[in-house]
Amino acid sequence: MADRTSETPPSATPKPDPDALRGDVVRRARIDASCRGPVMFFVLTAVAWLLIGSLLAIMASVKMHTPEFLSDLEPLTFGRVRTAHLNTVIYGWSSLVGIGVLLWLQARLSRSTLRFHKLLYAVGILWNLAIAAGTWALLFSHFDSVEWLEFPVWTAALLGVGFVGVMVVSLDLFRRRSKHHIFVSQWYLFGAVFWFPILYVLANLMIHLGMATGVAMATANWWFAHNVLGIWFTPIGLAAAYYFIPKVLGRPIHSYYLSLLGFWTLALFYNWAGTHHLIGGPLPVWLTTVGTVASMMMFIPVITVAINHHMTMVGHFEKLRYSPTLRFIVFGAMSYTLVSAQGSLMALRRVNETTHFTHYTVAHAHLGMYAFFTMAMFGAIYYMVPRLLGREWPSATLIRIHFWTTAVGIFIYFTGLSWGGWRQGEMLNHDTVDFLAIVDYLIPYLWSRSLGGTLMTIGHVTLAILLWKMWRGAEEEAQGPAVFKEEPAKTKILPTSDGEEEDS
Amino acid sequence: MNIIYILIWGTWIIFGISVVWALSWAVGQGHMSNVEEAGCSIFDEEEPIGEMTDFFPGEGPDGAVNGGEDAHG
Repeated sequence: MADRTSETPPSATPKPDPDALRGDVVRRARIDASCRGPVMFFVLTAVAWLLIGSLLAIMASVKMHTPEFLSDLEPLTFGRVRTAHLNTVIYGWSSLVGIGVLLWLQARLSRSTLRFHKLLYAVGILWNLAIAAGTWALLFSHFDSVEWLEFPVWTAALLGVGFVGVMVVSLDLFRRRSKHHIFVSQWYLFGAVFWFPILYVLANLMIHLGMATGVAMATANWWFAHNVLGIWFTPIGLAAAYYFIPKVLGRPIHSYYLSLLGFWTLALFYNWAGTHHLIGGPLPVWLTTVGTVASMMMFIPVITVAINHHMTMVGHFEKLRYSPTLRFIVFGAMSYTLVSAQGSLMALRRVNETTHFTHYTVAHAHLGMYAFFTMAMFGAIYYMVPRLLGREWPSATLIRIHFWTTAVGIFIYFTGLSWGGWRQGEMLNHDTVDFLAIVDYLIPYLWSRSLGGTLMTIGHVTLAILLWKMWRGAEEEAQGPAVFKEEPAKTKILPTSDGEEEDS
Repeated sequence: MNIIYILIWGTWIIFGISVVWALSWAVGQGHMSNVEEAGCSIFDEEEPIGEMTDFFPGEGPDGAVNGGEDAHG
């Protein structure tokens, strides 16, 4: 590798030790090279599922205001395409990209190279096949109407078995860490890796093996559906935000103490909160009250994260103009504060009795899974992929199109459904309002949902084009100084089949 | 509903124990002391505090966006 510091003219100012600089550059390039194949596999297949999930989402959305759309094709009826949308974006897009980001972050933060490539490819292939088979079952066969657990039980078993590989690799990275410190993002990643399998296996056992039926099934369902957001996707999203905001800015987190407090309080309180989804249901009141209390307690981690992210950014917001990663990640971090505060308030009975069973809840879910998690993952992709492939993004314009279509799209989606959904809840609570009048009232808001979804899908196609160009190397000559001080591709650090690397 | 009570309380206990155990381990290993240093562990001499590390392609670092006040407080 060329040593750029050796070309710097001598100066009276003390300069950092060139060997130390070279060491940092080589170490990072070596880690990125070790992650290249498996992480790109997870990211590329995740984006493929994002495109499929977006197509299904638009179909479902259009059917809400134009019911005759594709209504004569049984596999494409609303109940099937909506369910297929949910599962492809949760297990296909969100989980696969989450695993990719998790592995890269854990490798970078542990300062250790990624090993067990064959195992990771096997996990990736298994997950993709299981999701494809599960989606086929949702569209063409039978499924249980238990939200986010609709995949056949054998499909869920494959996903669970595959995840063991992610746990093994994550532990291996941590065990071989070369720094004593554990950065706060690593705590979040650990939480995600070890809580998710407990959650997923228990929920599937309870529901698919008939251990929980009736009201008990609904309780187990929402215990799972809420926790999968809070202890699987949220920790990965926050781990990314806590790493990329300071890293891109070149500025330490405002208060590292607060970041730790935020993690440990989330770990303690979040898994109690799910039962607030069943307020008003035929459950013992204490069960839903516990969910409400835990939701209020969640203000503690949310406020710590909000203070930390905001105070780290203060005085540096103009840098959003220069960094694609920062744009997406800060958008996601701000949405996290908003969706968490909103979710806690929705757990209050007086609020819940208006919002329950309305489009307001759908808007809330998308604020969490899209405006927070998905935007944070887009930001992570824009940072990781050039370093993994040793190549600059081919077009700043396409990145800007991606950002603005998705940001404006989710804004339209969220505001339309939130306003319409709240009014829907108010009208449903008055028995003098004719039900069909409520349906008519909602149609413009449902069109706004389709408009927002279409814009987001344009953004997803743009990202796919960018990734395709990156992967094909069509713009190899576009390497510039924007990302790399030194081009990792030219370090010629090549991963071996086991993930061990060698200089050549 | 008994199975639900076992599920809810059981996972609270499992998750609670795992959190307390992890926190105790972290304290015992010294991960909770000198935490501000841990907060700076993502920086090094090649990507130091005060330098942005990500830009739109073709719009590389320059004096206008790098540098400036970096310490908090």
